[in-house]
Amino acid sequence: MTTTSKVRGLDFANLSLLDALDLAVLVEEEAMERYGELAEQLEQHNTDEAARFFRFMEKNEAKHRAALLEQRTARFPDEPRVVRREMLFDIEAPEYDEARVFMSVRDALDTAMRAETKARAFFEGALDELEDPDVRALFVELRDEEIEHQELVQKQIDKLGDAPTADPEDYADGPVGH
Amino acid sequence: MTTVELTFKDYKSKLKPIWCPGCGDFGVVASIYRALAAIGRPPHEVAFISGIGCSSRIPGYTTAYGFNTVHGRALPIAQGIKLANPELLVLVAGGDGDGFSIGGGHVPHAIRRNPDLTYIVMDNQIYGLTKGQLSPTSACGSKTPTSSYGSLEQPVNPLLYVLSYGAGFVAQATPANMKDMTAVIEEAIRYPGFSFVNVQSPCVTYGGDHQQVKAHKKWMKGLESLEHDPADRMAAMELASHYGEELHTGVLYRNPDPPRTYGELVRERQEALAGGLPRERILESFIQR
Amino acid sequence: MTTEPESSPPERVPATDLVIGMAGSGGDGIVSAGESLISAAASEGYHAMMTKSFGSQIRGGESSCRVRIGTTALHNPGGVLDVAVALNWEDFLRFGGELPVGDHTVVIYEEATKVAPDELPLGDVTPTDVFPVPIKDIAKKSAGTQLAKNTVVLGLLAGWFDLAPDAILSGVRKRFAKKSAELVEMNEKAFQAGIDYAKEHPLRQARPLARVERSTTGLMLLDGNDMCAAASIFAGCDFFGGYPITPSTEVMQYLTREIWRYGGSVLQAEDEIAGVGAAVGASFAGKKAMTATSGPGMALKTEMLGLATIAELPLVLVNVQRGGPSTGLPTKPEQSDLFQAAFSGHGDVLRPVLAATSVADTFRVTVEAFNLAEHYQTPVIVLSDQEIAQRKETVDAIDTDAFEILHRRVPTEGELEDYHRYASTESGISPISHPGLEGGNYLAGGIEHDEKGSPSVKGEVHVRMNEKRFRKLDPLLERDDLFSVEGDADAALGMIAWGSVAGVCREALALVRASGVRAKLLVPTLLWPVAERIYGEFLSSLERGLIVELSHQGQLHRMLRMHVDLPPGLEPLTRSGANPFRPAEVARQLTQLQNGGVR
Repeated sequence: MTTTSKVRGLDFANLSLLDALDLAVLVEEEAMERYGELAEQLEQHNTDEAARFFRFMEKNEAKHRAALLEQRTARFPDEPRVVRREMLFDIEAPEYDEARVFMSVRDALDTAMRAETKARAFFEGALDELEDPDVRALFVELRDEEIEHQELVQKQIDKLGDAPTADPEDYADGPVGH
Repeated sequence: MTTVELTFKDYKSKLKPIWCPGCGDFGVVASIYRALAAIGRPPHEVAFISGIGCSSRIPGYTTAYGFNTVHGRALPIAQGIKLANPELLVLVAGGDGDGFSIGGGHVPHAIRRNPDLTYIVMDNQIYGLTKGQLSPTSACGSKTPTSSYGSLEQPVNPLLYVLSYGAGFVAQATPANMKDMTAVIEEAIRYPGFSFVNVQSPCVTYGGDHQQVKAHKKWMKGLESLEHDPADRMAAMELASHYGEELHTGVLYRNPDPPRTYGELVRERQEALAGGLPRERILESFIQR
Repeated sequence: MTTEPESSPPERVPATDLVIGMAGSGGDGIVSAGESLISAAASEGYHAMMTKSFGSQIRGGESSCRVRIGTTALHNPGGVLDVAVALNWEDFLRFGGELPVGDHTVVIYEEATKVAPDELPLGDVTPTDVFPVPIKDIAKKSAGTQLAKNTVVLGLLAGWFDLAPDAILSGVRKRFAKKSAELVEMNEKAFQAGIDYAKEHPLRQARPLARVERSTTGLMLLDGNDMCAAASIFAGCDFFGGYPITPSTEVMQYLTREIWRYGGSVLQAEDEIAGVGAAVGASFAGKKAMTATSGPGMALKTEMLGLATIAELPLVLVNVQRGGPSTGLPTKPEQSDLFQAAFSGHGDVLRPVLAATSVADTFRVTVEAFNLAEHYQTPVIVLSDQEIAQRKETVDAIDTDAFEILHRRVPTEGELEDYHRYASTESGISPISHPGLEGGNYLAGGIEHDEKGSPSVKGEVHVRMNEKRFRKLDPLLERDDLFSVEGDADAALGMIAWGSVAGVCREALALVRASGVRAKLLVPTLLWPVAERIYGEFLSSLERGLIVELSHQGQLHRMLRMHVDLPPGLEPLTRSGANPFRPAEVARQLTQLQNGGVR
């Protein structure tokens, strides 16, 4: 995934550290809110286990965001933010297409894995374009964190094992007309 | 008319969508929030009108003044709203059935009047709300509860339909590319006149795998990358004729010299004719002399 | 129904009104003559009324008009003709019961038809004053062309009946002055030739029309459709969405000429549904909006009506009734859309239905419709009919200052803080915002909703909302001012009538009372919901009577039976449209009832 398909209105090559930190915060914020949104959809549709997992991911992303925001505030206490949420398009946030009614925890974990994978790819891919060494350092950090997250998710997936899961469609009622 | 600093969150209402998780419409409404935020008109100056269908629920998920009307009739109702208050930002939305089956008769007239509003169709080739029947854009041969042995009809081509009636702005998008969809919707709203965006918005409950976002990602072709000139209407129509075979995304046509909108012409007439008997004395014109 | 045999003179005060019926083919200009006649009469201060009737050809088919001119107020176009003008008999007879000839009718016809005066094709009717007039010939000789026939006819009428000769001549001059001085001169001659002929061949018994002594200040001449449209502007209408349909199109056309001056707009939409849809949209956007149509259009608009009802949007729909069902009789009046107005639409819906009785009354009723729509946030249906809509009538000056204009209840600042669009207030009427009003954002729609406007399928919410939508209209049941009781309030004999038929019954009532019989008449303006108490009060003294309606089923009668106990002696007098009731006929029927006879 190249940055051009994920970011709009931001001059990547000349990204400042301030902007990079703000971007990083927003990446987590976008992901946090998206997990929250998907959790809400799933709660609305009684797909509770996967919803709970997404709520858990929402909290995680909130933590990451808070940590990055702390960094930003420490480095740049007074500078106004130029980067806006509207410039980001699902960098780490799982796409809406990821959710499905009756999805299992395993499905939700796979979603999280895909999200972490694309986030890692974003930060990695960005390194090809970035010039400022401080920004590069930040992005390396961010990439490495995503690798950690990937490993965490993988552990969870492994815990679940490969036990064959029943297909909800075999049991669920059909869709309703309105 | 006011413009303010708003974020996309200011346009999101608290109403929880009935859409199935994974529905393409989530992407569409997210794009709309962003487009409106970028344009900066406050929610109370936005009127969002829809018909009936899953996608027609969309106005309720925004904080704008919403009007979820009856099947197929959003366009005439929206035109009445725009005529009554030309200052409003008017959005119209609905599905492919709402727009091109029962509503099909209204589309040409909305286009030829050229009111300044934006019509977004969430095209999923199915009637989702009523449990998966054939729609006017379903492919010939599709099997649905009302075409058990396969549809015998050729689908409507929404892009060609709208282009051939003379629409000044025609685009197509998919939630598979949120960035481009957001850009195109914003551009459509900004276009001064009737603008149309056909969104290939998959139905995860009734749609086939070939219709889902994953498939779109493989299939979609950005018009810019094809070096299409959106000022070239004939080229646009040629591309549009491939609807169903190709998924072209981006702006198909944008009139480089937009004609005056219906509202502008109406205002001109109102100004030219202003004066004469005040309302209280209107009967005087019938007095015998 | 064809010609009506009359063996005795009609019960009418003689020579204070004249009913003239004229027929010919389209090229004869018979309707133009009628227009000249009514214009002249109006300018002299007469009360006058004109109806027209045509064959189905677009042009050149049979064509007729009735002009009634009187020295006192008129309520209907009259019964048996006092004067019949037939430029040819085939065309005249095609109009059947619309041009009823009696023994006292002065019959004027084209001599060149070669029909002998004692062999008129009028069945048993034997008029005493019959004049075969060489109209074409006179026209040729005086004006140089047969086409001036209609001007000759005007001269004949002016001569025989002392019918506003100066005013007619002045009108003739004005009309042709637009073209050329030569035409004016030719037609002046034709007019004079007609007068001369009349003087040379006097009536058996002179019947000059009495002079009228009244001021013409503020006196208007217009038809019901124009009055409806003008009244809507007066009431504050800013938007009209509609579609051409006979006999309502003139409402849209008037507004197409005028509404822009007031910052409003008209949309001739692509179909009936789009027309009313645009009006619904305009109302949602905060403007007063209207549509006008006839029965077939109302059928198409039914769904939109339901939307406006549940969304609680003000809307005025005018139905100019014509013969039904389906395409029916597009150019004839009927009163058969009452069921549709009250009942059409799925679900539990209630909306006010009003009816106008005349062109003058159309002003009041249209203004009232807008007021009800705004106040109660509901669609309101106004029932007019082809006769009132296309009937030209003199209307006395209307004191527009006496009319209050109501506006929808806008939310207060407090209400906007936590705005509930469908708040269940004591009256059932909620504050209504509109796009552009900050803080008033809400979701309107056809789906059932709670007080905030959020969609809801909960049973108890549906109960509350239905109850609110019905309850808010309760005060209508106490609107005595929307009912007119005329005549002897405690009479045991009476009538109920609505719309244009009320005008016939008003005259019938006068005839009956003039013969010494006590009787009364109830004319409802509000037809639905049924104001049971008000009807009950009218019916309490009633033992016998008629509910007179121009429809096969007698729809008001049946609706009343749903709600009130009607005395067994109160019978429906019904007839399908295109078969107009006449005052003398209704008077006779009522008198027969009084005498205990079977009608």
